[in-house]
Amino acid sequence: MSEMLVRMDNIGRTYSRGKTPVMAVVSATCTVMPGDRIALAGPSGSGKSTLLHLLGGLDRPTSGSVSWPALGARETLRPAKVGLVFQMPSLLAPLTVVENVEIPLLLGQDSTEKARAAALDALDRIGLRSIAEKLPEELSGGQAQRVAVARALASQPKLLLADEPTGQLDHPTGQHLFDVLLASLEGTETALIVATHDRAVAERMNTLWHMQHGILEVHA
Amino acid sequence: MLTMLWLKGLLAYRSGRLLGAIVGVALTVALLAAIGVFIASSSASMTQRAAADVPVDWQVQLSPGSDANAVADAIGKSTSYTALEQVGYANTAGFTASAGGTLQTTGPGKAVGLSPQYRQHFPTELRLLIGSLDGVLVAQQTASNLHVTVGDTVTIQRIGLPPVKVKVAGVVDLPNADSLFQAVGVPASVAPQAPPDNVLVLPADQWHQVFDPQAAVRPDSVRMQFHVRITRDLPTDPNNAFIYVQQLANNLEARSAGGALVGNNLAARLDSVRKDALYALVLFLFLGLPGAILAILLTMAVAASGTERRRQEQALLRTRGASTAQILRLTALEAVIVGVGGVALGIGLASIAAGMIAAVNLFANATTILWTINASLVGLILAVVAVLYPAWTQARHSTVMAARAVVGRGRKPLWRRIYLDVILLAVAAIVFWRTASTGYQVVLAPEGVPETSVAYETFLAPLCLWVGVALLAMRLCGGGLEHGRHMLATLLRPIARKLSGLVSASLGRQYVRVARGVVLVALAFSFATSTAVFNTTYNAQARVDAELTNGADVAVTGSTAFAPSSMLSQLKALPGAAAVQPMQHRFAYVGNDLQDLYGIDPAHLGEATTMSNSFFAGGDAQATLAALAAHPDGVLVSQETVTNYQLKVGDQINLRLQRVSDHQYHIVMFHFLGVVREFPTAPKDSFLIANTSYVAQQTGSDAAEIVLMRASGNPVDLAVRAQYALGSLPGARVTDIGSTQRLIGSSLTAVDLRGLTGLELTFAILLVAGAMGLILALGLAERRRTFALLAALGAKRTQLGAFLWSEGVVIQVGGGVIGIALGFGIAQMLVTILTGVFDPPPEVLSIPWPYLVLMAAAAIASMIAAVLSTQLASRRPAVEALRDL
Repeated sequence: MSEMLVRMDNIGRTYSRGKTPVMAVVSATCTVMPGDRIALAGPSGSGKSTLLHLLGGLDRPTSGSVSWPALGARETLRPAKVGLVFQMPSLLAPLTVVENVEIPLLLGQDSTEKARAAALDALDRIGLRSIAEKLPEELSGGQAQRVAVARALASQPKLLLADEPTGQLDHPTGQHLFDVLLASLEGTETALIVATHDRAVAERMNTLWHMQHGILEVHA
Repeated sequence: MLTMLWLKGLLAYRSGRLLGAIVGVALTVALLAAIGVFIASSSASMTQRAAADVPVDWQVQLSPGSDANAVADAIGKSTSYTALEQVGYANTAGFTASAGGTLQTTGPGKAVGLSPQYRQHFPTELRLLIGSLDGVLVAQQTASNLHVTVGDTVTIQRIGLPPVKVKVAGVVDLPNADSLFQAVGVPASVAPQAPPDNVLVLPADQWHQVFDPQAAVRPDSVRMQFHVRITRDLPTDPNNAFIYVQQLANNLEARSAGGALVGNNLAARLDSVRKDALYALVLFLFLGLPGAILAILLTMAVAASGTERRRQEQALLRTRGASTAQILRLTALEAVIVGVGGVALGIGLASIAAGMIAAVNLFANATTILWTINASLVGLILAVVAVLYPAWTQARHSTVMAARAVVGRGRKPLWRRIYLDVILLAVAAIVFWRTASTGYQVVLAPEGVPETSVAYETFLAPLCLWVGVALLAMRLCGGGLEHGRHMLATLLRPIARKLSGLVSASLGRQYVRVARGVVLVALAFSFATSTAVFNTTYNAQARVDAELTNGADVAVTGSTAFAPSSMLSQLKALPGAAAVQPMQHRFAYVGNDLQDLYGIDPAHLGEATTMSNSFFAGGDAQATLAALAAHPDGVLVSQETVTNYQLKVGDQINLRLQRVSDHQYHIVMFHFLGVVREFPTAPKDSFLIANTSYVAQQTGSDAAEIVLMRASGNPVDLAVRAQYALGSLPGARVTDIGSTQRLIGSSLTAVDLRGLTGLELTFAILLVAGAMGLILALGLAERRRTFALLAALGAKRTQLGAFLWSEGVVIQVGGGVIGIALGFGIAQMLVTILTGVFDPPPEVLSIPWPYLVLMAAAAIASMIAAVLSTQLASRRPAVEALRDL
């Protein structure tokens, strides 16, 4: 049996904004296994992004514990083992598409040659090889998000976290992006957690996590 | 409400950008105010110091037959005065005295009659050397010619009357003999300029007893003057003061209706200072204005660093329905904060800098207050132009779509397409060549003419060079960053390691921003370098001038009778005396021309003072002195004498030297060996250099009237010890190089270049540090999102550092190298254009190493601070940082 990727026990995350503390996540308990396809749904401000950040080790809980049994310590998660796709435009403006994609590889252990080859391969898989030398300002919104997906996939992560990746795209473009994402992960053990408002997206996943006022409900 | 919200937001989230712009405006205001106030104060003190130096303001000469009382009355009506003394001048056929069994006779001389109060009113006209001031005084050279001292008797050979005997009470020096014996009312080119060789000063009563009878028989041989010290309520500007004093004198001449002619010494002195005042203005333009322009550019660049964000903010406001007027009102708020904050900080900074460095007060008088107000207005206008104008153009022309970030691949700017950089460099070369090749004088203030002129067009050469090199550097840096990424990646590998490719690509695509930063830092470096090099070169030349004038670090001068060389062993034994060499100072007739003759030991004189190659026509001091040493009867002659007497090397020259035994001049044979241009203690026109042993043999005296001393420590201390060692050696005078440097009349001494450059060098360091730190910090701050994203993607601190340090190093090294090279170019140009302020003109530039090191250290420290502060900010959790951006 495969080893568990993430284990969260009674996780809580409170922000200090002004005088009133804001509880973004309250006593969340969950696990993530290899190959999981999880939709994280819930209204805006319910704590979806915070939970994703806690899962990816970008943020630390204020209570409870989180561990990554199959991935190792928090410091070793990124860039190689956990991939991230943000809701907002996240490409670095002065770098070309291929350079953006190879960033996580160069930040990790890969040599420059190997990183370039892997980045081109990732673009190939996602059908964007032809725009490898373009700058982000020359891309459409859909193209830019596909490049962000390619960047997340390039290092072949064990866990891919996507925070409303289609949130700024129109429906057909969003669906296409999601098709590409799922197709790229087909046949891999990479677990995917997608925070989304889109019911159609959520229905294509095998597990639904729902958040409401920071409280996580897990549905098979 | 919206305004208050916006203000709160600005202060909370845009404090870095605001502070940067405030610092830029503050530096501009501070530099302009401090230098402007300094120039105004300097101009005023220049007038005061010039007037203070004048021994007698007016010498009002009475025309024959005019009524002295009427003239005195006219003087009182023309101007108020603090001193008025009547002085009698009488020509004599000569003076005689008997000493040591021989009778000495001088040529024609002058006898001056002074009242007992004269010395109190005009203290710098007489300096007592020995004896008492109560009685008949004999001038030093006359005493030497007649071999008389206190208590001896001198016979005055009156014109047309029998001689009169007087008893010498004291020997005096007449430091201002040139003006004291000037020919009043006669054009300078017509009257003899040299003061008389033989002078006797008599008490007024005695003078009248002796010369009133002469005036009766030969009225042309006696004349009367009023010496006047006018009340010194002069205009502060030297030119205005000159015109004012000239007008007062004209008024007097008109009132006296030809009864009096005014020798206007005060106007003459102010006349010579006018040029200094103009040079001060020119120096402000050449040295100070670039700093102010640089500070303005810095402010614009700081304000521009927020353009992208401002564009996004505007786009957001417009999508929510804000009108252009509302957007501009909100932006005006930022301009007001920057303007008011910058002006307040700038005035404070200027006040501290001007007070501490140049000892001037910003609010000393109306002129300085005006400068302060003007500088403040420039600061306010700058804030509006830097902040509001770009917002206005954006608000008018940008669309929401255009608010998307744009990186690289834009159209080349107009200046690049028309090669403005090359054109400007060509203009700089042409203007400079024209200036340098024609010996153009930047400042013209013809003597006696109220009008002055400054050739402002010469300013074009350094200005065009400055702007041309800046644009060329922008072109080359931009091109290099854009097309030379592989080379840049290789260069950055030690810092960025395997990220070097990404870093160089990133820098290359932001070439416009990076090149702008490089150029701004380069301009700051060039401003600091050119000012420092100019300043150091000026100081070096002032020291050369002082050493030439003083002779050595310390010089002891005396007379043949009481020669300082008699104390040579005591002087050599003084602590701090590294080398001591005697030098004879005699006089010799070349034809009918009496010239200074210096007897030296060619082999050893160089131990005590600098023997520069430029002193000799052959350009080889060692060879020339060796030739002199090898020819005992050799003599080095000035170029003027060589030309006048058509001399050729090897020619025999017969000079007449005074022999000690009979005090008569005898012919002595010399051989002409070469041309000497300048020599320690020698006058600038004509003089002779010979072997001391030969001069001693031919004159019968080995006495050396000058002793030159090289100090191993502070020359002032050595001078004090030498003065003490000499004790009561009559007439001996000790001078040190420092005091001579302060006294000599190199024109800019009056401008006080130290104060001006002190201010500029301080601001230059601030500008270098400010340009480096602000440009880098704000550039990095604007890309916090990039660094937060990199951190979110997994970049470690060292990997983020690769981006930060690489950018810092590129801007630092690029700006530093270009700036220092440009600074030396500008300095060379300024030294050539402003050659009139140097005496003697420098052969090479002096390099201010300590200042350059300090400047580089300030820039590096500033870069480190900017990078570390960005690194510190990137310590925040990536998600937190991203959420706030």
